[in-house]
Order: sequence, then C-alpha cells, then structure tokens
Amino acid sequence: MTAIAQTTTGEVADGMWMRGSAAPLKGALLGLVLERPGHGYDLANRLNMRLGPAWRLEANRVYRLLDDLERSGLVRYEVQPSKHGPRQLRTVYHPTEHAREALTRWIETAVPREAARSVLQAKIAVAREDDAPRLLEALKRYERDCLELSQALSPPTALSRSWRGLVIDCARDAVDAQLKAEVDWARRTRQRIGEYVAGE
Amino acid sequence: MSPASNGSDQTTSLLAFEEVTRRHPDGHRELVVLDRASFAIAPGLFAGVYGARRSGKSTVLRLAAGIELPDSGVVRIGGRDTAAMSAVERERLLRREVSLVCIDDWHPKPHESVVDYVALALGSEGATLRQARLRARRTLSRIGLEQHGDEPASRLSLGERLRAMLARALVREPSLLLVDEPAVIPRLRDREELVLALRDAAAEHRATLLIASEEMGPLHGADLVISIGGGEVNVAVPRLGRVVQFPGGRGPGGRGPGGGQSERGGHGKQSEDDGEGGHGSGHEARLP
Repeated sequence: MTAIAQTTTGEVADGMWMRGSAAPLKGALLGLVLERPGHGYDLANRLNMRLGPAWRLEANRVYRLLDDLERSGLVRYEVQPSKHGPRQLRTVYHPTEHAREALTRWIETAVPREAARSVLQAKIAVAREDDAPRLLEALKRYERDCLELSQALSPPTALSRSWRGLVIDCARDAVDAQLKAEVDWARRTRQRIGEYVAGE
Repeated sequence: MSPASNGSDQTTSLLAFEEVTRRHPDGHRELVVLDRASFAIAPGLFAGVYGARRSGKSTVLRLAAGIELPDSGVVRIGGRDTAAMSAVERERLLRREVSLVCIDDWHPKPHESVVDYVALALGSEGATLRQARLRARRTLSRIGLEQHGDEPASRLSLGERLRAMLARALVREPSLLLVDEPAVIPRLRDREELVLALRDAAAEHRATLLIASEEMGPLHGADLVISIGGGEVNVAVPRLGRVVQFPGGRGPGGRGPGGGQSERGGHGKQSEDDGEGGHGSGHEARLP
C-alpha cells in the first residue's frame, strides 16, 4: 500500500502524467474535476463544451483518460446510487489531495511551439482565477516563441519574378500568417487577462 | 526581458529604453502607451517593433528619435540620456545621429527636384548648397535613383518616391535609422523592395535599423523584435540553435546578435535559385 502511494506521488511530482499526446486532455479533465466532481459522461460533456468541437472528443476516450488520472493518483472515484433509481449505480470522480498542485504545475509548464496553441487553449479553458499570473507568463513566452520563429523566416530577398520564387514566397507567407495570428491572439489574451486582473 | 539579455547593455547599446513610461491624453483620462518598457539594441543590428494599429509603435519611434521625451524612465541614444540634454544639444545630436522616415509623410515642395528634396535634409548642417547637392547625388546613385535627380520630386512613382525618402534619410549618414510602417505601401512588391533597400543601406552604413510595422513580413530576419501592446513590450531574440529558417537553402549563417551585420550585407545578392529544394530536411538548417 505504501509502495503504491509512493509510486503515485512520484509520478505526480515528476510530471509523468502530463507527458504524451493526451496531456492537454488530461490536464483539462483534471481542471474540470477540480471545479466540480462528476461522473464520466458528465465530465465528457463538460470537456466537449469547454474545448469545442475541433477536439472531436468521444466519451470512451474520456473514460480512459479518467482511468489514467486515477492511476496517477490525481482523481479517485466513488460509486454512488444513481438518482434514476436505487438499483443503478454510477461512478463519480473526485480530485485527490494532489490534484490542485498538479494542475498548477501543468499550467505553468512551458508550451513548446510545436505543440501549438491548443495546449495553451486547454490550460486557459480550465484555469482558475489565481492561475492568472502563470497564464500571463505562459502567453508571454508563447508570443516570444512565435515572434522568434517569424524572425527566422527568410526575408524577401530574391524578388524573383519566377514561378518558383512566387510559390516559395507564398508558402512562407502561410507560415507567417499563422504565426501572426498566434502572436496577435497571445497578446490580445494577455491584455484581456491583464485588464481583468488590474480591474479587480 | 532585461536589456542585458539582448546581446547588449547600457554601455554598448546604440538605443536603450530603461523602464520607459509614456502617457498620452485620452479624453478625460490618460492612456498609458508604454508602461516601464525596457529594451536595448546594439549598434548595427536590425530590430523590429511589432504591434497593432494605435498600440504605441510610433511613440516608440518618436521617443527613439528624441521628438518625444518619456514621462519617466530613460531613453539613451549612444549612451546619452535624451531628457538630460538641453534642447539645442538634443537637436544637434539627433540631427547628426538619427533619421526618422514616416512612409506616409511625403511632402516635396512644388517643382522641387529630387536632388534638392534630398539635399534639404543637410540644410542646417552648415554645408553649402553645392556640397549638399553633391552629397545628395552620391546618395541617390547608391540607391539607384541618380537618373531621376533633376526631375521634379512630385513626378516620381510610388516606388521611386520611397527610395527618394530613403535617400533623404540616409544623406546625413545617421547611426540610427527609424522607419515607420512600411505596411502602408499598397503594392507588396514595392514594400518588399523598400525593406530590402533599407536593410542593404543600413548594412552598408553600419547603421542600426528599427522598423515599426503591424505586419510581420517587414520584420523577417530581424535580430530582435519588440512586440508592443497594452503598454507592455515583449522582446523576442531568436535563440541560436533553436530556430529553423524557412524556406531553407541558405545554410547555417552567422545569425543573431553579433552575427547580423555580415549576413545582412548579402541579402541583395542572393540568387533566385535560393530556396529551391529548401523543403528537404537537409536544407532546413538548424543554426549552430
């Protein structure tokens, strides 16, 4: 028993649970469980509402993620009688004592640019009010990353009138347009959160 | 980001903002355009100011040009505090060291020739008209406008007009060249040509170049970018070894603070074929 508890704490402490492609979903789920305990289907619905249709979430996947979070020691479940009848049972997920700190660590973990804004979006979607400074820092860093990538775009040099020159330029412009959108979003979001915090 | 991490510090930077705050009246209230903003630019670098319309980009340039003074904090040009000088001293320093080009601001006198339009920038330097015109012609020929020297400035096409403005800014050989908003130029090709000419001219004169734009295109290849919004600045300096150039094909270059100078000189000479095959991973050079 003690051994299991140690493994669990170790995994939380070294952030193993927030690795991998499912990390944004696990992080967001943990945020939702912290907001309000719920059964699997309820959490899947809330996650869908919070992150939007682009994530294409399926309820089955959410159950698996909840299992993962449970194994990592971040949520625990209780089997309760359902409101719909005394013979029906349902599993309600609650945060453990590690959950709050784990979410804080996840929110302040740097978001590599390759992982794209969606990770940051997931963090923002479930962030608590006292996460504001961590979000501001993460957004600022993200904005800088995007700016640096934009600077690394080769400046227009050839001014070639060839077709090849044109299509290379247009491909570069696609990257530039994405980065610009990201930078503008990050800055706008920083400004909004900053104004909210200052207005308190 | 502290000024020191931009590859320069107070003693070696050409332009430094230290905790600069600037407020503008906004109806009954005051708008904080800059809130304790700090950054520094080493001599010879190419820097960008990126921000939306009315985010304070032009204010940064006017502060850098000494036309505006900060409400608090210090703006240093060549290590000297612009607010600590007398008005006469400041004007002299700025006339000698700084040129500010506002792309929108094209007002040649009626019938004024291109040479005179450029030479006028030397008016208060004590040069004779003959000397001034000679220097103006030299500058015009450097940027490929010599054949239009005797034409009335008002007859120039937009592209030529931009180069005439550039010549007027360069004729005094400033160490700091400030350019406000190339994005107002409607034709993309004209805009790109101007930015290229600016960068080549700045590299040739070893001048520090600061371009403010609401687009990122004119700032590609910059040594640092100062993003501004909501009164705050966020300074991005590409970290060596992290950034992938796109399109590739240029190979590893001496990029970033210190390495910018040598690389910039070559931009105009890059051949059309550059970038070909740049999508292969071998060409996406990770910088050393």
